[in-house]
Amino acid sequence: MNALVAISDLVVDFRTRQGPVRALDGASLAVREGEKVGLVGESGSGKSTLAMALGRLLPPNAEWGSGELMVAGVSVRDLEGAALRRLRSHTLGYVFQDPIGTLDPTMRVARQLAAVMEAGAGAADVSSLLADVGLQDHHRIARSYPHELSGGMAQRVSIAMALAANPKLIVADEPTASLDASIRGQILDLLVSLCAAHGTALVLLSHDLRAIAHCCDRVAVMYGGRTVEVGATAEVFAEPVHPYTEALLRAAPGQERLGGRIEPIPGLPPILTGRAEGCAFEPRCRHRIDACALARPESSEIAARQVICHRAEERRPAAP
Amino acid sequence: MTGSVVELRSVDVHFASGPLWARRRVHAAREVSLGVAAGETLGLVGESGSGKTTTGKVCLGLIRPTTGDVVFDGHPFDYRRRARRGALAAVLQHPQWSLNPRLHVGTSVAEPLVIAGIGGREETRRQTGEMLERVGLQPVLAKRYPHELSGGQRQRVAIARALITHPKFVVFDEAVSALDVSVQAQILNLIRELQAEAGFAALFISHDLAAVRYVADRIVVMYAGEVVESATAETLYGRGRHPYTRGLQAASDLIEDEDARLADASEEIASEGCPLTPRCPIATDLCRTTHPALRPLGDTLVACHHPEGRAGQS
Ligand SMILES: Nc1ncnc2c1ncn2[C@@H]1O[C@H](COP(=O)(O)OP(=O)(O)O)[C@@H](O)[C@H]1O
Ligand SMILES: Nc1ncnc2c1ncn2[C@@H]1O[C@H](COP(=O)(O)OP(=O)(O)O)[C@@H](O)[C@H]1O
Ligand SMILES: [Mg+2]
Ligand SMILES: [Mg+2]
Repeated sequence: MNALVAISDLVVDFRTRQGPVRALDGASLAVREGEKVGLVGESGSGKSTLAMALGRLLPPNAEWGSGELMVAGVSVRDLEGAALRRLRSHTLGYVFQDPIGTLDPTMRVARQLAAVMEAGAGAADVSSLLADVGLQDHHRIARSYPHELSGGMAQRVSIAMALAANPKLIVADEPTASLDASIRGQILDLLVSLCAAHGTALVLLSHDLRAIAHCCDRVAVMYGGRTVEVGATAEVFAEPVHPYTEALLRAAPGQERLGGRIEPIPGLPPILTGRAEGCAFEPRCRHRIDACALARPESSEIAARQVICHRAEERRPAAP
Repeated sequence: MTGSVVELRSVDVHFASGPLWARRRVHAAREVSLGVAAGETLGLVGESGSGKTTTGKVCLGLIRPTTGDVVFDGHPFDYRRRARRGALAAVLQHPQWSLNPRLHVGTSVAEPLVIAGIGGREETRRQTGEMLERVGLQPVLAKRYPHELSGGQRQRVAIARALITHPKFVVFDEAVSALDVSVQAQILNLIRELQAEAGFAALFISHDLAAVRYVADRIVVMYAGEVVESATAETLYGRGRHPYTRGLQAASDLIEDEDARLADASEEIASEGCPLTPRCPIATDLCRTTHPALRPLGDTLVACHHPEGRAGQS
């Protein structure tokens, strides 16, 4: 197996004035080369922490706990100096929610791009990269400062930046959330088609289930800092095993009868201060049993998925 | 349309865009006619640039149409601000843009009442508290600043602010698009409940067909500034007639029909004939030369030469 990313049981805490916050409570995920994986879950479920951990880009108040995080065969946690810089500049590319804030406000687009491209890249390479991300007016854009661009254009430029060094993996954290709703589809399609064309793997963080369904081969559903259901997107969305996945899908409009009601998930996601002793979803779960609050569920393999739920076996989808 | 709170009659909106030496005229709305009755939600869907926001702004009196008429409550729209204070309101995609970051959210919610000069200070405070509760926020949150709230809470505040003057007409422009799935569900349900209760007329604009289908009684589909189809939600989703409607539905997985898929939007909009021609899976020579008028077909209005599919096709 060409495992590009292998994360197992990763724990990350943040030190805060109110005490520790556990952002990852044993997250596990594998990404193969060229694969497109979606990360979904409500705000606070740990998606961004996992994404930042991949490039060891966590803020200083983060504390790595137990667990392993391997990218391209090396343990990210132990990287230092040149090897760490190489990981960030050549193996990974990041696309964030706020493109204008991500770009350097003091530098014209062309210079920023040239700085991250292979040494010796010239104006023609910059232009062709901008054309690749669908910026027709690339001469003007190359000479612009970030604040002169619209949100959609700036996000295209940051996609060009992320791809400039030909990375093995693009990590896109809510790349369309700050954009006008009606251009989100175009930006996602661009990201997906460029990754496919370059054989680059993609980890896409989003709360938009439809977007994940549209773009990703596999999906990891996160809750309370754990990856509670991981499997092929089409299968997971068609027949969710984890009650949280089911609840998320039920909350999205589209499947209900006309005039019927969609159901928000009752309650709020937890803010953990340490290791969850039971299932973190238990207080909101309509399928909970006594064991859920008492014992911490472990990962089991159900129908070619990894599911963390005490009732996973009973909820196994009917064989096709 | 009789009984409409807001009505547009053959509205055209032109913008000038591009640099001075290469001015282009953008036709953001063409011959747009629609009406929204009290207690009704009209959905407005279409891709980016189809003219939805422009149409919403015309309804609110924020843009004057180049030609055509806007009728509010049976009278020609009165563009003097005073006359419409409190009667119209809007909820937008990013609530942080409509809430002043330096004001307590309670103050922001009360502001439209103060501006409209409705009620004294005590009365304003009471109504603000009630309104916050009505949108599912604890009144103690009135003393918070917008950045201290979650995205869902901010959108509830924006809705409270929009509804506090009991407007007759409310525009929701991509109002749930920026929210988490489960929060989106809460807000969509809230909009439905508030509307059933308060009876305002609503224009619900979104690129998300599933969200529109969820809240709207009738739906208008726009493409390139034109209304291409208009029907009840039931009819439209039972059987959309326009290839554009069906293409949008196929793209959002609401119908399963690979043949309905549209070509990419990068194609030019046709300047002659039907604007959808370059992307349309069933276009014919007629479509390339003759602009289709919006006309009744069963219980829908549709602007297409081949609303039953092309001859010889099922
Ligand atoms: N820099 C930080 N300091 C303290 N707590 C943080 C920090 N970043 C994230 N957290 C907390 O960690 C948890 C996971 O957050 P995050 O990874 O941002 O989730 P998501 O991206 O899914 O919304 C949340 O409870 C969040 O409040
Ligand atoms: N103030 C403006 N100046 C110039 N062009 C505009 C302006 N507002 C909108 N447009 C253009 O009008 C068209 C319709 O835009 P809009 O109503 O925002 O569409 P939508 O909301 O459906 O995305 C687009 O081509 C847009 O670029
Ligand atoms: Mg995040
Ligand atoms: Mg718009």
